[in-house]
Amino acid sequence: MTEIETPRVKELTPAELEAIQLERPDFEVKLESLSQWQLAWRRFKKHRLAIVGAVLFFGMCAVAAFGPFLLPYNFYTIPTPDKFVYAGRPPSLAHPFGETGGLQRDVLTLVVNGARLSLLIGVGASIVGATIGAIVGGVAGYFGGWIDNLLMRIVDIMLSLPLLFVILVVSKFLGGGSWYLIMFIFAIFSWPGISRLVRSLFLSLRGEDYVDAARAAGVGDVRIIFRHILPNAMSPIIVAATLSVASVIISEAFVSFLGFGVDVTTPTWGNVLSNSLNFITVGNWWWPLFPGLAIVVTVLGINFMGDGLRDALDPRARE
Amino acid sequence: MIKYAVRRTLQAIPVLLGISMIIYAILLIAPGGPEARFAQNPRITADQIAAFRHRWGLDQPIPIQYCKWLGVCGDKPFLVNALPGGTIELAGVRIELPGGDNGVLHGDFGFSVVNGEPVAAIIGDRLPATLILAGTAWVIWVIIAFISGVYAAVKRYSLFDSALTVFNYVGFSFPTFWLGIMLITVFAGSLHVLPAGGMWNARTVPPFGTSEYWAFFGSQPLNALADLGTHMILPVFTLVVVSIAYDSRFVRSSMLEALNQDYIRTARAKGVPERGVVFRHALRNALLPVITNLGLEIPFLFTGAFVTETIFSWPGMGFQFIQSTASFDYPVLMGLLSVTAVVTVFANLAADLTYAIVDPRVKYD
Repeated sequence: MTEIETPRVKELTPAELEAIQLERPDFEVKLESLSQWQLAWRRFKKHRLAIVGAVLFFGMCAVAAFGPFLLPYNFYTIPTPDKFVYAGRPPSLAHPFGETGGLQRDVLTLVVNGARLSLLIGVGASIVGATIGAIVGGVAGYFGGWIDNLLMRIVDIMLSLPLLFVILVVSKFLGGGSWYLIMFIFAIFSWPGISRLVRSLFLSLRGEDYVDAARAAGVGDVRIIFRHILPNAMSPIIVAATLSVASVIISEAFVSFLGFGVDVTTPTWGNVLSNSLNFITVGNWWWPLFPGLAIVVTVLGINFMGDGLRDALDPRARE
Repeated sequence: MIKYAVRRTLQAIPVLLGISMIIYAILLIAPGGPEARFAQNPRITADQIAAFRHRWGLDQPIPIQYCKWLGVCGDKPFLVNALPGGTIELAGVRIELPGGDNGVLHGDFGFSVVNGEPVAAIIGDRLPATLILAGTAWVIWVIIAFISGVYAAVKRYSLFDSALTVFNYVGFSFPTFWLGIMLITVFAGSLHVLPAGGMWNARTVPPFGTSEYWAFFGSQPLNALADLGTHMILPVFTLVVVSIAYDSRFVRSSMLEALNQDYIRTARAKGVPERGVVFRHALRNALLPVITNLGLEIPFLFTGAFVTETIFSWPGMGFQFIQSTASFDYPVLMGLLSVTAVVTVFANLAADLTYAIVDPRVKYD
């Protein structure tokens, strides 16, 4: 048995204390506090496919924004208005995407100009649709009871209809062919899926302790929904909205392709494809190929980005 | 279980009613309305138009018009009219049924605005073509998706698995209609090896669905099948390629989940050969969600088939839908939408009930 030595406390003089406090380690310690979004951005950056997707999508957005100013041809001036050829010309140096039959237009010009409305409608309709879906799903999931029952039956009804074809009919019947009307129609029919998702999120989140705490503190329903629950349900909503951009772009192209969407004189990818159909038997493969590839590249980029966002925003959802 | 089935079936009724209301609302936004065709005719006076509206009940409130369209109101009293009507003969005894004979509930969708044919007859003409196309494609894609999904799950992280993942990503991003256009451009426009569209060769074969067609089918079955087959290659291929992605991913994840279960480890530990583990133990359990999913896919099958039909001029319901949309033929549109939606509701119902029957682990409150 050894004797236990009691530690001797040395009284520090104020001068010594100050000297210790002033002492700095010889290396730099930097504490960084990261918000949820910064952490998500870190995870997103590590997801290689997501970065590729973001580059594809935002690259296409840049093309839509600046492309029309950089091209030598204008969409509204037709190169040879007095000449009408049957077959177009394949890609060449002057026209890398080839020339169309009929008015002999530069396909690259058509595709670049078409990007604007196609992307705008896809993004706009998804944002509006996700907002409607979040509100409907949030109200249904938070209040439950008959409101939930009623709203979810409406969602059942909407999802039982072939929505793409309802959109076709509504778009044709309301007429006009203005792009914001088409965007609005797509928004109105694209919320049911998201509202189901938001409802299930709210159902599980409304039982959380912090919601009870907020309610006990006298916070009103509206404030609980939007300030306390919604931020915590945001990640899956953002992912769903991102993926919905892709499906709206494809659907809008189909509707415009059939001539029931945006007015044919306005450039969209669907309209460019639509015109190519009249010359389909000539075998001008470059005419439908490039606007379609633009759609595939954009949609692929959005899908990659959506997967990356899912991993970054909600790490629990990973397999 | 029976309680669940009854409740689930009863839940379908308000959904069907809601669907009918939305479809009726489409008629309300149709431009012009039934009397629009008189607007340009100087010989028809405003009085005559008013009389026309009165004659067809167009001056009545919209709820009553809807009620009549649905078949709940009619010659018979309210609600009684919704019951089956007409007379039937049972063992020589004629029985008068109490219900009415008008409205959607009795299969009466009205008449086409374009050619005056009954809508039900038009849909009946178009349905077989859609079923042939969608059914063939569905069988092929389910088989391919199933085999590839199971194989990818068993050989996880193999080259095949990665290749399938890449293919699925691309398949998800492919617009169906664009794939169709490209196939036509290449195989019909450039190479001239396959027909660009349609369902039969008009030079050698009578129109599909007519009695001549079936007579031709009976006399030269090989020629008829070859003709149908060459017209089907491109549309079926289009539909299959874009549809495999979702299903094979679903089968793969379902199979992976089954392979991770404890009973698989037990089977392996007992020395069951790998083939037996995969086919006897894992596959059977992985099948359950897959079967249900097939029922839930019916709406996508319809949409996909409709889109493909429009590209390939395949004379099915989707092609009819586009033609009717272009010509504002709203009774036909309402009929087509109703049929599709009702089939969807019942397919979902069947999928839910099947799942409840085949998987006893699922508990319903």
